[in-house]
Amino acid sequence: MREYRLFNSILVITAFVLVGAVFSVAEADTEVNCLICHKHRGLSRIDEQGKFRLYYINNEMFESGPHRRNKCHDCHSDKDRFPHDPTVKVDCTQQCHIVEPSGQAKFSHKPIADTLSKSVHGKFDADGNPKKYQEDYPGCKDCHDQPLYRPVSVYKGETKDGVSKRSIGRCRSCHRTGYFAEDFYDHVTSRLRRGRFPMETINVCAKCHQNQEFLKRHELDDAVTTYKETFHGKLIALGSERTADCLDCHVVEGENTHLIESKLVPTSATNKANIGNTCRNSDCHVNASAELSSFQVHVTYERDKYPMQFYMLIFFKALMAIILYFFLALIFFELLRRLFPKFSFIKEKKTSDDTDFEPLSDDADK
Amino acid sequence: MVKLLKKLVFKLYVICLMLFTVWYGHFMYPLIFGFEGKEEAGESLKEIIRTGSEEETMFSRLIAEQTETSQTDLGYRVIDESYIEGRFHHIGFTLQHDNTNVCIRCHGSVPHDGSKETRSFLNQHAFYLACETCHSRPRAGAETWTFNWYDKVTGKITGNPRALVEIEEMFTHEHETEQYPTYGNYGVKIAPTQNDSGIRKLLHGEKEMALAERYIAEQELLEPDQKTAMKEVLHRKVSKDHPQCRECHNQEDRYLPFEKLGYPPTRLRELVNVPVVNMIQKYQKFHFPTLLESDEIEK
Repeated sequence: MREYRLFNSILVITAFVLVGAVFSVAEADTEVNCLICHKHRGLSRIDEQGKFRLYYINNEMFESGPHRRNKCHDCHSDKDRFPHDPTVKVDCTQQCHIVEPSGQAKFSHKPIADTLSKSVHGKFDADGNPKKYQEDYPGCKDCHDQPLYRPVSVYKGETKDGVSKRSIGRCRSCHRTGYFAEDFYDHVTSRLRRGRFPMETINVCAKCHQNQEFLKRHELDDAVTTYKETFHGKLIALGSERTADCLDCHVVEGENTHLIESKLVPTSATNKANIGNTCRNSDCHVNASAELSSFQVHVTYERDKYPMQFYMLIFFKALMAIILYFFLALIFFELLRRLFPKFSFIKEKKTSDDTDFEPLSDDADK
Repeated sequence: MVKLLKKLVFKLYVICLMLFTVWYGHFMYPLIFGFEGKEEAGESLKEIIRTGSEEETMFSRLIAEQTETSQTDLGYRVIDESYIEGRFHHIGFTLQHDNTNVCIRCHGSVPHDGSKETRSFLNQHAFYLACETCHSRPRAGAETWTFNWYDKVTGKITGNPRALVEIEEMFTHEHETEQYPTYGNYGVKIAPTQNDSGIRKLLHGEKEMALAERYIAEQELLEPDQKTAMKEVLHRKVSKDHPQCRECHNQEDRYLPFEKLGYPPTRLRELVNVPVVNMIQKYQKFHFPTLLESDEIEK
């Protein structure tokens, strides 16, 4: 059987070498050249659930992220024939061919999955029992699309977006083989800042934390809408990258971002005992007093849950409306009087001494 | 006279101020009282989705779903692309739908769902070929068709896409630019055209679209046999004898004149030597080689 497979493989490889000779070097990176088919932009179908499935792979995008050192088969290990069998979900915890340099072990995302399982997003509680609504708890793809590098360059004290050709040049003077220098540079400098622009992070969290049905099921407040009403939320909406987003407050400084814990857990970044330190972390309000963290960030104004906040909101809305519409009405009627200066509901009898009412018009000013 | 004119201008000015006051009150209302109306509309749609059978739910979900785009900010570059739910890989471009093709009006832009071996490849072709390019054939003795590109947005015949030449230039300077040639998203499609009183017109043009629109608008009022008859009329240019892969993807005598359509030499070489065509035509099932695969990869 093994010999038959070997013979078959040689035949197929020969066929591919002959017919695929025109393809570029970049496309030959994949072991069976998946891009022969998957480079076509419109390669697609509507699946049985009515979902649009696009099978196109943008190689340029693929080469712009840390997965570029992987081969297709590292993740899509079930794809061994054409037409493909029904797809098996990619298991991000499986080992790939890349050796992790610090421990010299084959790379896997399993440690991340283990961290996630200990967090509030894990599918099991502290006693190992499955939580309610299992399908609501996120897997890798619920939060992550294909990661892309966000490199930065530093030159003479100035930090800029993108790759520094000077730095790459310095690296390549020693590390000349392949794309080692570029890979290393992209990877390390992308880690010097967040992997995503803050608004993208918020949109990821919003998939669940702004979904009203999800919030009802888990008895949660609408954390995203309420966040967007804060100063932080508004600054990020205006394009700031230096303002706190969800992860800055919900992850303990220096911890893995996958370890988000409930505020009831003593080690959580948002636990009452720790929230002050979270605000005072080295990148934010370093000298802030404890009062800074005493305000309620995610206020939803539900009457049953937060009656005080609800009635306060009603009061301020009413106050604002009364003041605004009172003065608007005043201005409106004042203008109306200027339009019809002699108008009156009360008709008075004219006497010979009566003079006409002097109108408040520009003529009158003269 | 001047006094009267001044008075008139003043009155107009006051009226404008009054209108502004009313508008300002209206503008401020949602800012004070929130946007509850919109949230309620969203909720009612969810209610419809929640209450139906599986098919009804699926149908409602599909109607509710809108074409979304997403943005990825890399700092040095912002990627705008179509958002496709559940997709991991970035596609790096925005899908541009053809809203001008008459067939797509009913059959949609991803119409092929037959054979598992070919359906995705055929849908891929629908990305840059109008349906009638393959599903219609010139009648015997009739004037031969010319193939031209047309704009997906305006439906007008255009020249050959400049992007094809730019991709060729990218090949030439491949090692300098380190860019990857990606084909197919030119915003235009190939369609057969005919000479109509000295003007080149699409085989399925405005007239055919008007007929289809009229049928869609009036179909509820039609008797079943009338519907069949009208469908027959609408499909009278459709031929069952559609071209096979080899009729275009061969070295000579091609159904589609790739050179005239502006395909440059490198792309032309690819189009006439398509390994996928060989694969589809020669093998019922094609096993990928596992010779070089490491046995050490563990789950």
